Amino acid sequence: MSTSIHNESEKHAMGVAMKRKEDPRFIRGKGNYVDDITLPGMLFLSLVHSPYPHARIKKIDKTAAQASPGVIAVLTGEDLAAHNLAWIPTFHGYDKQMVLAVGKVLFQYQEVAGVIATSREAAQDGAELVEVDYEPLDPVVDPYEAAKDETILRDDRENKTNHIYHWEVGKRAETDAALAASEVHVKERVFFQRCHPAPLETCGIIADMSPATGRLTLYLTSQAPHAHRTVVSLVTGIPEDKIHVISPDIGGGFGNKVPVYPGYVVAAAASVVLGVPVKWVETRTENLTTTGFARDYHMDVEIGASKDGKVTALKVATVADHGAFDAAADPTKYPAGMFGICTGSYDFPVAFTELDAYFTNKAPGGIAYRCSFRVTEASYAIERGMDILGRKLGLDSAELRLKNFIKKEQFPYPSPLGFVYDSGDYALTLNKALDTIGYKALREEQKEKRARGELMGIGISTFTEVVGAGPSKHFDIMGIKMFDSAEIRVHPTGSAILRAGTKSQGQGHETTWAQIAAEELGLDPQNIMVEEGDTDTAPYGLGTYASRSTPVAGAAIAMASRKIRDKAKKIAAHLLEAAEDDVEWVDYKFRVKGIPDNTITMQQVAFAAYTNPAPNSEPGLEATYYYDPPNLTFPYGAYIAVVDVDKETGFVKVRRFLAIDDCGTVINPMVVEGQIHGGLTEGFAIAFMQEISYDASGNNLNTNFTEYLVPTSLETPHWETSNTVTPSPHHPIGAKGVGESPNVGSPAAFVNAVMDALAPLGVVHIDMPLTREKVWRAIRSAEAQAPA
Amino acid sequence: MNLEYSGREQIPAALDAVWAFISDPANIAACMPDVIDTTIVDARTFDVVVQIAVGPVRGKFKFHVVLDPQPGGARMNMKISGGGFGSVVDLDAGADIARDGDGTVLDWKGRATMRGPVATVGGRVIDAQAKRVISTTFANVKARLTPATVAETK
Repeated sequence: MSTSIHNESEKHAMGVAMKRKEDPRFIRGKGNYVDDITLPGMLFLSLVHSPYPHARIKKIDKTAAQASPGVIAVLTGEDLAAHNLAWIPTFHGYDKQMVLAVGKVLFQYQEVAGVIATSREAAQDGAELVEVDYEPLDPVVDPYEAAKDETILRDDRENKTNHIYHWEVGKRAETDAALAASEVHVKERVFFQRCHPAPLETCGIIADMSPATGRLTLYLTSQAPHAHRTVVSLVTGIPEDKIHVISPDIGGGFGNKVPVYPGYVVAAAASVVLGVPVKWVETRTENLTTTGFARDYHMDVEIGASKDGKVTALKVATVADHGAFDAAADPTKYPAGMFGICTGSYDFPVAFTELDAYFTNKAPGGIAYRCSFRVTEASYAIERGMDILGRKLGLDSAELRLKNFIKKEQFPYPSPLGFVYDSGDYALTLNKALDTIGYKALREEQKEKRARGELMGIGISTFTEVVGAGPSKHFDIMGIKMFDSAEIRVHPTGSAILRAGTKSQGQGHETTWAQIAAEELGLDPQNIMVEEGDTDTAPYGLGTYASRSTPVAGAAIAMASRKIRDKAKKIAAHLLEAAEDDVEWVDYKFRVKGIPDNTITMQQVAFAAYTNPAPNSEPGLEATYYYDPPNLTFPYGAYIAVVDVDKETGFVKVRRFLAIDDCGTVINPMVVEGQIHGGLTEGFAIAFMQEISYDASGNNLNTNFTEYLVPTSLETPHWETSNTVTPSPHHPIGAKGVGESPNVGSPAAFVNAVMDALAPLGVVHIDMPLTREKVWRAIRSAEAQAPA
Repeated sequence: MNLEYSGREQIPAALDAVWAFISDPANIAACMPDVIDTTIVDARTFDVVVQIAVGPVRGKFKFHVVLDPQPGGARMNMKISGGGFGSVVDLDAGADIARDGDGTVLDWKGRATMRGPVATVGGRVIDAQAKRVISTTFANVKARLTPATVAETK
């Protein structure tokens, strides 16, 4: 991928590797995060957490905490219940979750009480002194055990079962029949482990209720400020005009900063009651143990095929562990998100998938960790399944994929599970990957190494994502349609301010949004200021997650720009003393058709809009656009990992990793490359290092960065990247979104590579993370079972 | 996290002296390492505040200890419950006590259940700490029960 860096102002803004406009303040330490904000008279909240995963609360004694120096108040669930705030609705509104535990605790580290004090330290000291008398209950930590309903965890619910919901899509009977009739059939249970986005900035809030104005201002680590404002209004009854959400700079979100968490609610309630600002910034342990986890899907993947390797049917049956509450972050009508993308890049004649979700005594969540609502799980299932099928058929994994790809002439492609893929040329992208990495030579090398008893593996993942939620006819969150918005005001001198309903957490919107508007308007992207995250000023939008910013808000920016251009054309006609129909927009300027030298720039139009407006026209030059996409977008990629496995230690060396992405039109190749590097590093961590695991007693065993590992530059492989470009036909600029592709596509490539390396030993599958211990044990076990 | 420990300790003191010693909460509390504060509740019960440092889990833990001498003077059970810093530790232990020549032998076994941050520290770290606590406690018991010490106490 080209990453030549342009520092100077660019007229042709689209596709330029412009340096990120936000970086000068970040690299100087001048970012402004929630914890950087201090307000006069501000108090601090510290939460008390349960050490038990399942227990009745017999008594909470606040006495010692209340007497602790600096402590102003101690709140429990009973206190919140008096204000009808003990429970709040979960993300999609189908369940509710406790703010502070009432009656019993349902997972370890659940929030039990809140201590508000004059300093962070005083609040923590006070929290240590809250005495909670628990009656421990047996925990249920395995969703398959939960399914037996021997212990009902949620006695607050009408239905006395741990089963939350059943979801299915596709043709069950036809799929079963096709599988039964298949010449070749594979079935494997693959587990995508519970993991956590672990953004470097943890979640936090300052709630500031002003008794003078009656307004509640929330400085919040929010990926969706408007949605949070609406939720706060709905839950508290505070009129929405009296709520102001400001989401300042955010240090990574990855879906973790979409839900509403108890700390937010307690801080807001305390501020409302006390009339002073209250800050809560969670610790790393709180972040890892209580806020939104991701994945935790146990997937039974079945594929049928002909002997020559043509797939005939796909079935995926999943058991999902949702933890104590159904707080999964999915659109209302899609309880399992976009899992229906599990047919991937392949032309299955028939498919069926179903999912059953269960409560367990684990932290609630199920957020879209750098993926568009369960797309990562789905992609992992199909990409592992295809490799397992290839092994059984004795077919090369690249050949199997090329044989079964949806062909470019089949687009728009209606998948058997209900999506209509917009565009793609999968064979082109995979062939580019195979050529770039030297696939044939690598297979030859592998043959030689295998002959010497060495373990070398090559893993391919050719994933297809579905992103850009979404079309309002299908997608909403708590009834709010998932459109997005942009407002652009061009100033008299030709600079502009652009506000969007999205919120960057590191994606680089200040740069790429400016580039889109600059391209459409012929303005200098350096002089287009982008502002997000302030609900008093930005137009309403559903925020940034699930790779929806570019497909939805990016489109809104282009359309708002075009509205401005339409008005500008009238002004230009006035200035050119020509009929509007005779004016055309060519090479970023207006001109009269047939008179190419007589041009008017957008800067000239802008000045005229305020100083010499066209007769009978409204002065000014601005527009707002709410974009409701006609369809989702379908980015895809071909990833290849090459690994060497040390037979004696189980150590996996990722020797090479190539990512060829196709995200349609590229706005800024350097930003895209940065996104891919970050996502691949996360995918690498998930494949080899990370899991939020619980022991049989319900103890969370990965509560900090010594137990939940984040790769440093020492562990991270070198990433090779390139791309193909297949624009989305329905997006105004043809862009599809890319932020999540590397996290979606890479885990399967890594695992496929390791399994390929272990193939001579007969090892078919190991669940992630592929730690040295797991790989070592698999090798030893295979050797023990091998014939002498 | 559940951890089990067992061992056999020989104490160079007569069984009656050992039995009397370990039946007294004040004696047991005095033999435990890193104790900051002790409150004797009654003849069989005491509370202690202990300074704990297990990996990143560091601070004061409060424990409630109940001694449960079994009839016949040959077995002592003990239940410890408490915690701190969001962690909970429960320990059920028991020792069979018998004469061994001029001395006494204790065959003991304990099962600890840990919850919260302390459970995440890792078995090997906790093992090392637990072994230190156990060995220090028995060393103190032995020291307090050696004839010279017993004579001084008398």
